[in-house]
Amino acid sequence: MSYVDAGYAVTLVTLLVYAVGLVLRRRRWERALRMVEAPATESDGAPVLGERS
Amino acid sequence: MSAPTVRPSRPRWLDVVGILGVVALGFTVWLGLWITPPDVVQGNLARLLYIHPPLATVALYWVGAVAVGGSLLYLWPRTRSLFWDRLAASAVEVGAVFSALTLVTGSLWGRPAWGTWWTWDARLTSTALLLLLEVGYLALRRVPADPAVRARRCAVAALLIAVDIPLVHFSVDWWNTLHQGGTFIDPGFKIHASTSMSWTFLLGFVAFSLVFVWLLGVRYQVEVLQDAVGDQELEVSLAERWDEDTEHIGGDLVGQAPAPGRGAP
Repeated sequence: MSYVDAGYAVTLVTLLVYAVGLVLRRRRWERALRMVEAPATESDGAPVLGERS
Repeated sequence: MSAPTVRPSRPRWLDVVGILGVVALGFTVWLGLWITPPDVVQGNLARLLYIHPPLATVALYWVGAVAVGGSLLYLWPRTRSLFWDRLAASAVEVGAVFSALTLVTGSLWGRPAWGTWWTWDARLTSTALLLLLEVGYLALRRVPADPAVRARRCAVAALLIAVDIPLVHFSVDWWNTLHQGGTFIDPGFKIHASTSMSWTFLLGFVAFSLVFVWLLGVRYQVEVLQDAVGDQELEVSLAERWDEDTEHIGGDLVGQAPAPGRGAP
């Protein structure tokens, strides 16, 4: 692999990994937000989000 | 019924910017690696220049403008809002990625061109300092504190980044450096390169700028969600504490009441 190929590969792979990581982090925090909002429903005995009744 | 959900908006334009960024980046790679001719002096090594200067431009100017501008707007009492703090923090994290890539691609170009991976040249050193300052900012942000205190600390830390930006920019003029000054565009804005090379170079700037805007947007959404979860958790724990305290007070009151047949005469 030449220096040029290595430069392009490192750049593209790093940006791809960071972008995918960001999207996954966003999804995880969205889930976390739904979870902390759920206790009000949970304490009433209603099914928790994502759980089968 | 559950409380209404507070979520950051997902603007449609951000998805469009992301798609355009990927397409532009794809074209830059295609043109840069396969279509443009080799340079008369550097040969194929010049192909790295379609990605290295655009990465450096984003890392220095775009990130600098958003991070320092956002921090100054937060510090200014009239415009103080957590929006600016979150935007600045998002820019610094994305900026750290671009700064690291600038150093790596520069090093990959420097090894065959200069004969060394690294030299303590003013441009390289000030760019490495920029990355260190960004990492320091992100470390400071992880120190637990009240959001307003954290925002103020980080805004002050961003001012250090503001000091380094002109150092990086003018390093090739102020010091005698191994790193060359502007080679594609002279002070009269005349481009010294073939047409396909010039267009690929310009497309690289557009592509990395679009990718930066998309990454910044998504990172900002993560920041808003983190704060929303923190606020919700605080509310839940306060409510639980309130319930516990109420139970204790209730229990104490019950305990103080005279038990039947004991305290009564």
